[in-house]
Amino acid sequence: MALSSDSPTDRESSEKITIQNVSRSYESTHALADVSFSVAEGEFCCVVGPSGCGKTTLLRAIAGLDDPDGGSILVGGDPVTGPGLDRGMVFQEYALFPWRTVRGNIRFGLDRPACDCPDCEARVRELIDLVGLDGFEDAYPKELSGGMKQRVGIARALAPDPDILLMDEPFGSVDARTRDRLHAELLDIWTQTGQTVVFVTHDIDEAVTLADRVIVMDADPGTVQSTFSIDLERPRERTSRDFVDHVARIRDELGSPADTSH
Amino acid sequence: MSTRTDTSSNTVVAGSFEGDLRRYLRGLGGLLVFLLVWWVGAMTTQPSYLVPGPIDSVRAFIDLFSTSTAIVVPVLGSSLVLPTGFAHLAQTLFHYVPGLLLGASCGISLGLAMGWNGALDDWLRPLVRVLRPIPPLAWVVFAIVWFGIHHTGAAFIVFVGAFWINFYGAYGGVEGVSTELTDAASTLGVERDLSMLKLVALPSAAPQVLTGFRTSIGRCWMIVVGAELFGAPGVGYEIINASNNLAMATSVAYMFLISLAFLCMDVGFRLLERRVLAWR
Repeated sequence: MALSSDSPTDRESSEKITIQNVSRSYESTHALADVSFSVAEGEFCCVVGPSGCGKTTLLRAIAGLDDPDGGSILVGGDPVTGPGLDRGMVFQEYALFPWRTVRGNIRFGLDRPACDCPDCEARVRELIDLVGLDGFEDAYPKELSGGMKQRVGIARALAPDPDILLMDEPFGSVDARTRDRLHAELLDIWTQTGQTVVFVTHDIDEAVTLADRVIVMDADPGTVQSTFSIDLERPRERTSRDFVDHVARIRDELGSPADTSH
Repeated sequence: MSTRTDTSSNTVVAGSFEGDLRRYLRGLGGLLVFLLVWWVGAMTTQPSYLVPGPIDSVRAFIDLFSTSTAIVVPVLGSSLVLPTGFAHLAQTLFHYVPGLLLGASCGISLGLAMGWNGALDDWLRPLVRVLRPIPPLAWVVFAIVWFGIHHTGAAFIVFVGAFWINFYGAYGGVEGVSTELTDAASTLGVERDLSMLKLVALPSAAPQVLTGFRTSIGRCWMIVVGAELFGAPGVGYEIINASNNLAMATSVAYMFLISLAFLCMDVGFRLLERRVLAWR
């Protein structure tokens, strides 16, 4: 709550992520063409766009998992040269290690390269508590529902206490009710940790529910089409007039509704 | 007997008690029919050594454990007196076990290395293509000239057999590691290639590695008997030895013994596998 009352200008005072003229091509498709924008420290930024607009490529580039052909990505002023513990990533299909229990998955990032937390077990317990998985510490991923798997994915990404949380359509495969719950939980966590979040989605409602700012991308070539600030109190009511207005404006920007449905 | 995720068992009548019972009864029926055919065949065939009957075979089997034989323990050189059946089984295991374990470790290591390292894969793939199709028993000639056909020679042949099966298990397993998991590990601080192999590739390949090893347990029994037919001591040698004396029932008894030994190892390993791969 405290964070959401900050004015946007305060937050944009320090850039956490700076993306400058980034391009990336795969054979004949321009996944990203001259993409530039920045994300302020502590900001919750959603990137929306049709499939093939390069939003996942962009997120992977910030994570250091993908090397752009041109342009540069700065995180905290330093160019990204590879993955790092300062950036946690949450994957669309969870990407949990199936041979590790919930505890083992969350613990993974704490043990690399060496455990430097004073009490890793306590940290893991704290995270399990944070994402509401008490009682499932020793369960294997196969025993969990989609929503629970993604809770583990979030806790695992949070464990090394990254400055930035990168989320690639994390709630795309969970049912609508679970997704609403996870939205509220994610916002709670974000409020507590004050991390910078870049959240990729194709769901405009989701973006408007979560974000301080929504970046709209266009496909082929992948470019930033426009940016919307969402100055609404959280928690946001999806039926409120302002909310509906924001969604409608973004939808117009994206083109016909049919284009945004996948 | 739960059949929910066990792909190896027949799931036509999944899980139900009647289904299990029916399956056991049918299996028992099949065995009884076989015994009857065998018995009638043995009764009606002359001379009798052509088909030793079930009763003679069981008697020969019991005889294996009512007499005793002294064997020499390799490396230690001391002698050991055991019931005859166990004595010859022990002789086989003296070359089977080291051959299997060493072959499996080398095969798994090379499979992991080649599956993980593209350059090494490029270097060795043609060589592997050429060497792989050679049946392990073809190496018996080198086993004889290099080691002599005793424990070491037989172990060498078993080694070759275990090597390739385990090689392919590990190779395929590592090749199939999902990039999503290696990506996740990268974002969680895994930097060195060796750490990635240990923390992600190896556990992810474990099911295939273990399947490879389990397959090699059976394959190596075939190979070891083959090697012993050339003269290495053990149960395979006793099969030939007994038949040279026209004691065919004793040959059958040793065949049973091999089957039992294999079954014990296979069941034991499956139990271990189920424990290790509980996460699947």
